[in-house]
Amino acid sequence: MTYNNLLDLGQSVIDGVLFGTIYALIGIGFTLIFGVMNKINLSYAAASVGAAYLSLLIVQSAPPALVYVAAALVGGVLGALIYLVCFHFLPLNKPLATLMSTVGMLLLIEEAIVHATAGMPQNYPAMFVGANIDIGPLSLRGDLLFVFALGCAVMVGLTLLLKHTRLGLATRAVSQQSVAARLCGMSITRTNMSTFVIAGFLGGTAGAMAGAAIGVLSPLLTLPLTVKGLVVTVIGGLGSIPGAIIAGLLVGGVENLFQYMRGVSERDIYVMLLLFAFLVFRPGGLFTPATGRD
Amino acid sequence: MDFYFGLAQVIGVHTLLGLSAWCVLHTGQISLAQGGFFAIGAYASGMLTTMADWPLGVALPAAALISAAVAVAVGFPALRVKGLMLVVATTAFAEIVRLVFFNLKWRVNTPAGLVGPDGGLGFGGIRYFPSNGWSSVEILALVWGLVALVMLVLAWLDRSRIGTLWRAVGEDEVAAQSVGINLTAAKVSAFGIGGAIAGLSGSLFAHYATHIEHNNFTILLATFAIAYPILGGLSSLWGTVLAVIFIQGFLIEGLRFLGDWRSLLFGALILLVMLLRPNGIISSPMGQWFGRWFGRSGGPAAPTPKGKAHA
Repeated sequence: MTYNNLLDLGQSVIDGVLFGTIYALIGIGFTLIFGVMNKINLSYAAASVGAAYLSLLIVQSAPPALVYVAAALVGGVLGALIYLVCFHFLPLNKPLATLMSTVGMLLLIEEAIVHATAGMPQNYPAMFVGANIDIGPLSLRGDLLFVFALGCAVMVGLTLLLKHTRLGLATRAVSQQSVAARLCGMSITRTNMSTFVIAGFLGGTAGAMAGAAIGVLSPLLTLPLTVKGLVVTVIGGLGSIPGAIIAGLLVGGVENLFQYMRGVSERDIYVMLLLFAFLVFRPGGLFTPATGRD
Repeated sequence: MDFYFGLAQVIGVHTLLGLSAWCVLHTGQISLAQGGFFAIGAYASGMLTTMADWPLGVALPAAALISAAVAVAVGFPALRVKGLMLVVATTAFAEIVRLVFFNLKWRVNTPAGLVGPDGGLGFGGIRYFPSNGWSSVEILALVWGLVALVMLVLAWLDRSRIGTLWRAVGEDEVAAQSVGINLTAAKVSAFGIGGAIAGLSGSLFAHYATHIEHNNFTILLATFAIAYPILGGLSSLWGTVLAVIFIQGFLIEGLRFLGDWRSLLFGALILLVMLLRPNGIISSPMGQWFGRWFGRSGGPAAPTPKGKAHA
C-alpha cells in the first residue's frame, strides 16, 4: 500500500466518522424511546427525514441557518404526533401491536414524501461548503465538520437536559423504574410524550444534517437510516446514550472505510458483519446500562 | 382473466411467506429474516432449474432444505438475543443476504444461452414454467396446493406436542424453561421450519416472476412477512390468509383505482387495523367463531388486554 493510498484511507475514515454523527443521533433517538417505553419506534428515522422535508418549506423565505432550527422543531411536533397515533391508544403489553403501528406510520410518511415531491430528490442547503480545514495532508470537509459540530452541540444539549432539569430527572426515573416513578407522582404519559418530543428534536436535526451532508433529501434515505440507527442502538448497548454516540461514529467510520476498500455495493455487508460480531461476542453492546429491578 | 390468476399466485406466495413468519412469531420471536430466507430459496431454486437443469419437483424441496439449513445455522447465534436485539440481528442477516446476491455474479453457458445471477442486474431467464408448457391454471394449482399442504402440516404441528411447546415458549419463556422445555430447541426448530416455508415460497416466486433481483428482497418484504400474521392474529392460521388477501388483494390491487393516493392509504389502513384490533383481525372471540365455522378450535384464546400496563 502506497503512501497515497494510506492517505485516501485515512481521509475516508475521517469523512465517515464525521458523517457518523447522523447515525449517532438517530441511534440516540431509538435508545431514548426504548429506554422509557421499552418499545421500538420504527417510524422514527422516517419522521426525521420527513421533518427535514417540511423544513424545506421555509427555505425560500429564511436564511439557511434557520432551516436546521425549523427541522428540529418540526421533528418535535412529529414526535408528539407519532406518540399520540401509534402508542397512546394501543395496549402497551402487546409489543407486536406498536411494532406494526409504527411500521404503518413508516410507510405512511415515506409515501407522503413521495406523494408531495413526486419522488424527486430535493436539494438541501449545506453550510460552509468548500471551507475545508487542512491538517497536514488530510483535510476536514467544511460541510461535514458543520454537521459534526451541530451533532455534538445537540448531544451536549441533550445531556444537560437529562442531567439538570426536572424533565430529564423524570425521564431517567421512568426509564429506570416506571412503576416507582408513577408511585412518586410522575405522569408516565407526559414523560413518554416529552421523550418523544425530545427524540423528535434530535431526529429532525439528524434529518437536516443528512440532507446537508448528502446535498439532497430523498425518500430512499428513510430505510437505510432506520437500519443504521437500529444497528447503532444495538452496538452501543440498548438504552445507553454514550454507547449510541460512540457506535454511531464507529459505524460511520467502518462504513466509509469499506466503501473505500471494497466499493459502495459491498460496504453494508461489512457493517452488518460488525454487528454480528458484536451480537456474538458482546451481546450487551459497548455499554450495557444497569437494568432496573422489576 | 390472467390478471386474476396472477393476483391469486401472488396471494398464494405471500400466504406462504406469512405462514413462515407465523411459525417464528408463535415462539414469541420477531424475525425480519424471513425476507432473507425467501431470497435464498428464490436464488437457490432458480439456479438449480436453470444452471443445473434440475426438474422443479426436485429443485423446490432442495431450495426449501437449503433455506432451512441456513435458518438453523443463523438461528443458533441469533436466537441467543431477543426482542429488539433479535429484530436488529435478523434485519442485519436479511441485508447481508440481499447484498450478497446484489454482488453475486455467476453466469454459465447452457443450451438456453448465458444464464445465472448477474449482480445488480438481477437473475433473469428462470423460464422453467414457459419452457415446459405450464399454463397459468397449472401454476396456480401448484401454488395453492403447496399452500394447502403447508397449512395442513402447520395445523397438525399446532395441535401436536411441538406446537404446544412453541406456544409455551411464546407465552412465557421463564415459565416454559422452568418446566424443562429446551428453549433453544423450540426456537431453532420454529426458525428452521419457518425458513423452509419461506424458501419454498421464494422458489415459487422466482419461477412465476422469471426475473428476480436484490430489490425484491428488501426489509420491506420481511416487514410484510411479519405484518400478515400480526394483522391477521396469531391465534389462527386463517388470520394470516385473511391478512394477505386484505393487503395484497384489497390494499394493493383493489385500491388501484385511487392512483397515487393508494400507497398513502396503505400505511394509514395498517395503522387503523392495529388501533381497532390490537390482537389482529382474527382474535378471540372472533377466532372461536371462526373455529366453530371451520370445525377446529381457533387455538388458545388470546389474552384480552387488561387495561394499560403503564400509562
